[in-house]
Amino acid sequence: MARFVQQMVIIFFLIIFLAALPIMITINPEENSIEWTFQYVPEAIGNFIIQLSQGSLGTYQVGYQERPIADDIGDNFMTSLTIMIVGVNAGLILSLIFGIFISRFRMTKVFNFVMNILSAIPDFILIVFAMLFAIKFYKWTGIRIISLRPDAGAMNTWFPTMLIGMAPALYMFKLISVKYYQTGGEDYIRTAVAKGMKLNYINFHHVFKNIEPFIHAELVKVISLAIGNLFIIEYILNVQGITKFIFQSFEVQAMAVGLFAMLLISFIVYVSVRILFYLFKRGFIHE
Amino acid sequence: MNKLLRINFPLYIGVFFVAILLFVCIFGPMLAPHSLTTTLEVEYKDGKVVAPPLTPFESLDYPLGTDKWGYDLLSMILNGLRYTVFIAVAVTIIKMLFGTIIGMYIGTWRKVPSFIVAFENAWSYVPLFLILYFFLTPINYATLLEPNTLVASFIIIASMISIPSIVSSIRQKTGEIKQLAYIEAAKTLGAKRNRLIWNHIFPQLKESLLVMFILEIVYVITIMGQLALVNIFIGGTIVRYDPLIYLSVTKELSGLVGQARGNVYGNTHILIVPLIILLFTTIAFSMLASGLKNKFQSDYQRTPWIKTGHEPKMYPKRKQYDNAGKFYQLSPNQLAFLALSITFVAAGCYVYFTNESNIGVKQESHATYDLSLDMNNSGAFTASGDLEIKNLSNDDWDSIVLYQLKGISGAEIDRITINKKEVDYVVSEETIKIKLPEEMKSKGKHQISMSYSFNLPEEGKTLLAEGGTLRLTEWYPKAAVYQAGEWKIGEEIEGINTHYTNFSDFGISYQLPEGYSIASSADKDAASGQSSGNLKMKDVREFSIVLLKDMEVIEKQAREGVGLRLFSGSGDEDHLERTWQLANRALQFFQEEVGEYPFKQLDIILDQPSTQSYPGIITMAVNKEDDKAFDYELVQMIAQQYFKAAIASDPYNHAWISEGMSAFAASLYLKIAENQSESQAFAVPIAQMKKIEIEGLRSQRANVPLDELIDIGFISGQPALQINQMVNEHFHLQGYEVNEVSSKYLADFYKQYQFSEVDTKEYIQFTSSYFSVPRGSFNNWLSTKASR
Repeated sequence: MARFVQQMVIIFFLIIFLAALPIMITINPEENSIEWTFQYVPEAIGNFIIQLSQGSLGTYQVGYQERPIADDIGDNFMTSLTIMIVGVNAGLILSLIFGIFISRFRMTKVFNFVMNILSAIPDFILIVFAMLFAIKFYKWTGIRIISLRPDAGAMNTWFPTMLIGMAPALYMFKLISVKYYQTGGEDYIRTAVAKGMKLNYINFHHVFKNIEPFIHAELVKVISLAIGNLFIIEYILNVQGITKFIFQSFEVQAMAVGLFAMLLISFIVYVSVRILFYLFKRGFIHE
Repeated sequence: MNKLLRINFPLYIGVFFVAILLFVCIFGPMLAPHSLTTTLEVEYKDGKVVAPPLTPFESLDYPLGTDKWGYDLLSMILNGLRYTVFIAVAVTIIKMLFGTIIGMYIGTWRKVPSFIVAFENAWSYVPLFLILYFFLTPINYATLLEPNTLVASFIIIASMISIPSIVSSIRQKTGEIKQLAYIEAAKTLGAKRNRLIWNHIFPQLKESLLVMFILEIVYVITIMGQLALVNIFIGGTIVRYDPLIYLSVTKELSGLVGQARGNVYGNTHILIVPLIILLFTTIAFSMLASGLKNKFQSDYQRTPWIKTGHEPKMYPKRKQYDNAGKFYQLSPNQLAFLALSITFVAAGCYVYFTNESNIGVKQESHATYDLSLDMNNSGAFTASGDLEIKNLSNDDWDSIVLYQLKGISGAEIDRITINKKEVDYVVSEETIKIKLPEEMKSKGKHQISMSYSFNLPEEGKTLLAEGGTLRLTEWYPKAAVYQAGEWKIGEEIEGINTHYTNFSDFGISYQLPEGYSIASSADKDAASGQSSGNLKMKDVREFSIVLLKDMEVIEKQAREGVGLRLFSGSGDEDHLERTWQLANRALQFFQEEVGEYPFKQLDIILDQPSTQSYPGIITMAVNKEDDKAFDYELVQMIAQQYFKAAIASDPYNHAWISEGMSAFAASLYLKIAENQSESQAFAVPIAQMKKIEIEGLRSQRANVPLDELIDIGFISGQPALQINQMVNEHFHLQGYEVNEVSSKYLADFYKQYQFSEVDTKEYIQFTSSYFSVPRGSFNNWLSTKASR
């Protein structure tokens, strides 16, 4: 618990620091050098905390209009949250299934091979290529698979969701296949094999259980990967999500709120993954 | 077949690809077919319009196509790749170094403090690129900071913020190893922490560190790519409004991808080409990493008891200890690596030595001189010249053209041999034309030997009698310039040196009678008073010699060790001292604002028949009535050391480049260093244009051939004023302040074209991309259809 509190405090200050960075760093035009100015920081942070304590999220600038953040953040938050939850969970499930449970079959080897190649390519290149492909696909067939209109509904969100799922799936797949291979050499696996247990049984009861801690340990990193991609994807695919507050304005208020929303999303996604694992164990391993 | 499958392909391919990448990083700019300011211009070719953007493989000149504005994609990639790879490697080195050391030490602590873990966790929640985004947003968009500053700050910040994640994973790995029995044993035997870490833990980590290192390179490139997608380009983002576009300063690869992001809808090649190269870069490193991983894994891993579907195909390789030490027994792998290294070095040498500068006008001939000069007491010279003239063009030469000897009397050529064969030659007023025999036409190199004699000209009589100075004008046969299929010879114009020569290397030996000495273009003249010696000089457009006898001289060191000498026969010491001070101030200004002075010595000779600037030598005409005009001329002549002597241009067709740029530079000196107002500083150019107006002359563009020129003001005052106006109108694209941008413009121009040749077309390309103005904006003072 102490560690949790510590973490929260550190994260709080980290986010405030990040949101305040743009007003801290300036260029000195006379000497053409970078300058740090701290004089506006306490005021900005003070304002932020005061706004929060009054139960308001403050306002942000959209074009020439000043709007309360609280009015707009709900929809944006839900959009990002849905994309993240669906994307990350789907990615994890895919990587688990293909990494452990059906990885030994000949058919899945092709899939594994593709995964291995894809995982060598940085996510942002995949994202750009996916966009190019979607547009080319439309030109060839006339079938529209993406829409860049912010109000296009499901058409606007399914493609980003798929892209979000890609990074966790690839990352986890790589990790799981290495761990699976390593775990396969352990003595308890030999014992299980010697006892005549079926491979599926070993996978569920010996392998999965021993790989699970590693997955939990990497979960934060996976979610942070996905969040990183979320920013890119929302930015270039024109999705109305929380990144709007971060990229569209340079106000401390909006950026801090955006970052906290991002944090909340990571937390919810984390919980959702843990719940998924819990259900999985209850359902298949009968713990 | 199985044997084939067992080869560690990723390792070999990875090594090979990374070698290619490194090669391009080092030699890329040399391989680039165009400079970064060259644009493809719209033209008709065989009835078709060739206009940017060209698609890849459409034109041989632009193999990967051009972007919307006509810049060559291949050249941008070749120039930008080094930034991408070196920045990624630099960041990785820093973070791995600190991360590993800190991680290993923390990992060996008995208990890791909870705040460290809390910090690591908190830190890993926020995507790294976002942290960098917040850091770089305030500084990246303005182009005020130098690209190097921005690159350095990126390297520092990126490595700092990614250290915690490295620490975390190294700490965990160390913690695992620390539990092993052999560490326990080492401890029992009395090993302290340092020994444990460096002798027991580090060797265990070595291999995974190597793999991690290479993967982290890919990771840094990923971060750069993510930043580029939100328009933060490493090294600076240029923002242009209306329409809103973002451009990368360094042409770094991910920046190229980012700036072409709008091209997903059309002209996709502008986006796809850099993207594929970037993909190749990351794949190369990933392959190398996975190859190494395969190797280590097969060497150390236990085989699983169940079928996992992830089995490596390779067999482990064990160390062969009994063969160790026999260096001559190379394994196939080592042989292959050796072959690769040798190819790398050989290809590098080849590129380095055959590299033709792609900056400026292409050079198609090059001359090297070996001259000797002998003078007797009565002023008669015997001289000989060995010239080596290289044909760098694709044509066969019918003849070689040298300029006729001039400004000396009684010049007489004894004989000319070419490649040790006597040949026919035609001497005209202007030139000596040597006909090449049939068998020599296709040769790439010609040796010309010539011996000749001449006497001092009429003006030289006083030198013989009373002492003084005399510049030997055309005392050696200069090789003309071959360009675009012909020898470029301009008609002679009275009072202007129209001899068009290019950068050449000189070696000269001379012998003078007692009491004479010379000042020359060479970096190191013999001390005054010495009457014989050898001089050497590389990369000068001509080699000027001034004979001296009994002259007054001020010789002092100016800034950066440049020897600034002033010669005068008048005996007016005040004038001499004042002139030296002015020359020193002007030289210092140009050294500080424009760039390094191209030579080691500057000789200024007063009281000469005309005011001229030659490499390393300035002759000043007598002009005592008007100090201001004298001062301006002197400063302009010093500026010509930069813009005429160190940057070549055709003095017949593009004379305005040296005249106009130096006039602008001189006015700038008055404006910045002497704090004069703009109208005062530009008084001379303005007066020139006023005079034209009063005389009612028709207007003329600056790049007319000299025989059509009606007034010198058109090639001197006009460009100076026009350049100044252009800077005044567009300076905000390059900085805050007019003066600063003006001198930066000169400095960048000088840096770009130093020791290469500029013509009007090059000038327009450079300036239009510098200030983002269309070519049409030069129309009122330059003819944009100018032929080369």
